[in-house]
Amino acid sequence: MHPLLCRWDLDKTYLRSEFDTLRTLVRTAFERAEDKVEIPGVAEVIKAIKAAAARRARTALVYFISASPPQIGKAIRAKLALDGVPYDGIVFKDQLQNLRRGRLRNLREHVGFKLVELLRGRLAAPSDARELLFGDDWESDSLIYSLYADVLAGALDAGGLEPILRRIRVDPELIAEVAVLAERARGLGGVERIFINLERRTPPAIFRHFGARLVPTFNYFQTAAVLAGDGQIDPGDVVRVAEALIARAGYTDRRLENSLADLVRRGHLASAMADAICAALRGAGILPPTTAATSRWRRLVASLRRLRRPRHPAPVVPPAPAATAPLDYEAILNRLRPETRPLPAAATATPREEP
Amino acid sequence: MPIIAVDAMGGDHAPDEVVKGVAQVSLSTDIECLVVGDESRIQHVLEAVPYNPEHISILHARDAIGMAEEPREAVRTRKDASLVVAVRAVAEGRADAAISAGNTGACVLACAKHFRLIRGIRRAALASVYPRHTEYLGQDRLALLLDVGATVHCEAEELVQFALMGNAYARRISKVASPRIGLLNMGSEETKGGEALVETHRRLRELPGVDFVGNVEGNDLPRGRADVIVCEGLVGNVVLKLIEGMAELFGDLAGVAAERRIAWRVGLYLLSRGIERLRALTDYTQYGGSPILGFERLFLKCHGRSNAHAIANAVKVAAKAVRDRVPEEIGAAIAALR
Repeated sequence: MHPLLCRWDLDKTYLRSEFDTLRTLVRTAFERAEDKVEIPGVAEVIKAIKAAAARRARTALVYFISASPPQIGKAIRAKLALDGVPYDGIVFKDQLQNLRRGRLRNLREHVGFKLVELLRGRLAAPSDARELLFGDDWESDSLIYSLYADVLAGALDAGGLEPILRRIRVDPELIAEVAVLAERARGLGGVERIFINLERRTPPAIFRHFGARLVPTFNYFQTAAVLAGDGQIDPGDVVRVAEALIARAGYTDRRLENSLADLVRRGHLASAMADAICAALRGAGILPPTTAATSRWRRLVASLRRLRRPRHPAPVVPPAPAATAPLDYEAILNRLRPETRPLPAAATATPREEP
Repeated sequence: MPIIAVDAMGGDHAPDEVVKGVAQVSLSTDIECLVVGDESRIQHVLEAVPYNPEHISILHARDAIGMAEEPREAVRTRKDASLVVAVRAVAEGRADAAISAGNTGACVLACAKHFRLIRGIRRAALASVYPRHTEYLGQDRLALLLDVGATVHCEAEELVQFALMGNAYARRISKVASPRIGLLNMGSEETKGGEALVETHRRLRELPGVDFVGNVEGNDLPRGRADVIVCEGLVGNVVLKLIEGMAELFGDLAGVAAERRIAWRVGLYLLSRGIERLRALTDYTQYGGSPILGFERLFLKCHGRSNAHAIANAVKVAAKAVRDRVPEEIGAAIAALR
């Protein structure tokens, strides 16, 4: 089987870091490992990916890419150890170097840094690797991961990438580095899913421009469910994530059911997989046993089917991530970075053929 | 946490404002909303705003009752209308209370069709809160008026029951330990108002555990003399609409005056903070909705023009009424009366 490469952002994706104000930023920087708080269920998702890969005799590598400075690395590594999270590498952003070189803008601009690290990591990984990318809605993870995935898919070349990076004012030195790496990595392919943790509760509609490859999720139970739908983990793994959420984050069976129904309605999970997950949850005693008259989930699915039958003759199945339409980065940037200037006409992604 | 069924298709701004209100509640509370209506339209609105899916479920209903439809016929024939489905969901125990900004008559009739009256209650009442002047420190700035439209004319027995319902609701929701009950009449003397009102006055005066302050007149309504004002539906509805109409009229007059004379404009500018406070006081979006009292299950009727904020407040009030067991309190009061 193809090796699996999972790349995780750290703050707001793994850790519930707070840096909304200078005070919380400083506090976060000096926090001890035991004071750091992970987002509920995230550790179980990583463990589930590793465990499922092991069951299938597949290599799964987990890497973290963080825009935090390496000075907090010790606390982060200790935190990951405390959580029992198996990982294979972690990269920090050398903010001191940016300070020394007077590149203050680079302190806050992470697109160039993350693209370089993603491309470097991909070039160092086996060429047939498949990738899952995990980020959040606080900064530009959706944009960074999509650009990266499009480069790998061959939909975006260095010539198309450069104007986009210029528009968002990435450091010219980093643009040049990205361009070189992008040319080498172009066409390697393999990004199967991009998960965006909606820590800020950004409306999911905002992410429609990114296509079906990107899945915004409200909690890690939803992430686990989509991973199960993609065959990366099993429904039993989803149950373990659910158990962790119930035990440590006060989740209830209804919150889990509602989360699943939301995924089905948004078209990210097939009803059959939702049924399989519900059966596993029921088997574990998390959901109450079903009865024909009272199963709330059955009613939801039935109503969904009734609704969709006349309007959508084809069954609703989540589209395959590889078949995403070319992304319109101009529209994306107009929405995400409206303060930046529009791209020249030639700078959008080169259209890709639908399989 | 209580589950509140929300009629997504009822109201002048449905489903957009209703769904946005639900989304607001999902982010700020643990209340679960069962949103009833056209699933694809609800989902479309939901995905465009911040929300928390953990607290929202959707129950598809393919039909909706219009604001101007004849209520009796609509409730009888439109079994798949969102309002009817929402009320049915509460009756079947899938939700604890329902809210709607839709057709008022249809709301009352749907409740009457699917909910059971509390044992001993003869007729349900639609209650409404309205802003008034307070007479003492700590007095609630809102008074409760019932009935405002569930009935037309009432007998003394029914008016007494309305007083007990209002008493229970004010005690639980407004946290008034001993609400002052007034009977809306055309004079303060106990002999005024015809047979039913005279009889009601006599019975309320003799009722233990109720702080009856006697008859209140129209000009007492904006004052803090009573916390709960009892009247029959025809009168209550006229009073309620009059209060709303006067508030709107003052706003319009001020606007017209400001357009005509610069001195008025300056004056209004100087008074703007006070006017803003007055507007906040008369802002129906703050109050949630009007409860239909007397049934074993709860229903809150929101203003037809409700925006997201009003819907969110209505959901919170409904959840509070469920948690505070308002129907049980009413049931206990009626049982004691028997």
